Amino acid sequence: MVRKAFFAVLLATLLITLDSYTPWFESFRGHLSKVTVPLQLISNFPSRIGAWVDLNTTSRTILEQKNASLEKERLILLGKLQRKAELAAENLRLRQLLNASELLMDSVLVTEVIGISPNPLNHRVTIDRGADDAVYVGQPVLDAEGLMGQITHVYKNYSQVLLITDLNHALPVQVLRNGLRSIVEGTSDYHEMSLRFVSPTVDIAEGDQLVSSGLGGRFPVGYPVGTVAEISQRPGEKFMDIKVIPLAKLDRSKHLLLVFRLQDGDQSKGGK
Amino acid sequence: MKKISTAQPVLAMLLGAIILQLIPVSGEWLAWKPNFLLLVMIAWVLYFPDRYGIEFSVVVGISADLLFSSTLGYHVLIFTICGLIVIFFHRVIAYLHMGHRVVLVFLLVIVVELLKAMMNSLGDIPVFLKHIPYLAVISSLFWVPLDKVVNRFYLRHK
Repeated sequence: MVRKAFFAVLLATLLITLDSYTPWFESFRGHLSKVTVPLQLISNFPSRIGAWVDLNTTSRTILEQKNASLEKERLILLGKLQRKAELAAENLRLRQLLNASELLMDSVLVTEVIGISPNPLNHRVTIDRGADDAVYVGQPVLDAEGLMGQITHVYKNYSQVLLITDLNHALPVQVLRNGLRSIVEGTSDYHEMSLRFVSPTVDIAEGDQLVSSGLGGRFPVGYPVGTVAEISQRPGEKFMDIKVIPLAKLDRSKHLLLVFRLQDGDQSKGGK
Repeated sequence: MKKISTAQPVLAMLLGAIILQLIPVSGEWLAWKPNFLLLVMIAWVLYFPDRYGIEFSVVVGISADLLFSSTLGYHVLIFTICGLIVIFFHRVIAYLHMGHRVVLVFLLVIVVELLKAMMNSLGDIPVFLKHIPYLAVISSLFWVPLDKVVNRFYLRHK
């Protein structure tokens, strides 16, 4: 028995080494997701049944109240949108005066989360749109509040999204107040990210809003990312420790938006 | 001793464990979610170490690695060590009271989580220890029905 265990430990060590330093198992994992996605759909049944029961047992009065509240909210948002359209037109005119390039227009496609990684350290979700909807690797994903992450794997009818709080995710951002550029990294905590390599002399304060800077060309410019929550500096360290709270509801949002940039051309099929 | 087939219930339990593992829970609750594959593995190794020994631990470990998208071999190593501990003590613990077995699972979950934390710290991955006692308590609660089912097969087998 001990001999078997010894060989099993050796096998495990070998697998860890191979998986850490070679891409040999990547395609195997890709094929395996074809098995796990149906299982994820099955495991979603309890929440779907709960939602269905909730919908069918809600009284008419509550639905009417909810409808009235949504109607008010819609009017407020339409008002804000009119103001935004005026600002966008003014911005375009100013950019033309400066001979600057026009900002790209984005279109979006609504998608739903169908699976969440069961590993608490692995911040990935599966969504119900795939290659059939022209989803592509690297495509930005938003929720109603802010940037959620990017597509890492695309299959026929579903895709995997790496969230911005994942330990392996880094995102170029800028401070909305003064345009200061930096990189925000995930910490494996849904409610916290960290801003890297910020010198103590730069102008950054708690409460500053961070938006995507567009550097690297993966994420579009100007999408809200998070808010600076805490700034501290340990004695002897060259850079500050800056905690950022993500704006997107990374662990709660069920419906997300896939961003299509109009210049993507062949991807315009999916933009709605 | 009667020889009864346990392959079907084992497969059914593993499938059930995978589905339970995949049920989406949000944020902090995810850290408190028991490792159902680990519990199923402990149950069968505890009662049937001759049929479900180290090889079974390795297979369930590989399944866990693929399910959790962790580095291949990570759960294999942890499940092998856990399986070995269970096999070493199975002669004693199989005759213990349910309460004692619950305490054993509580301690095993803590050992497994500490092993995970140790391996994570070696790989510069953040380590969270606060949730471990709660996770062990929740896992112990889930152990009770699982133990009853596997114990029934054990008694029929005897």
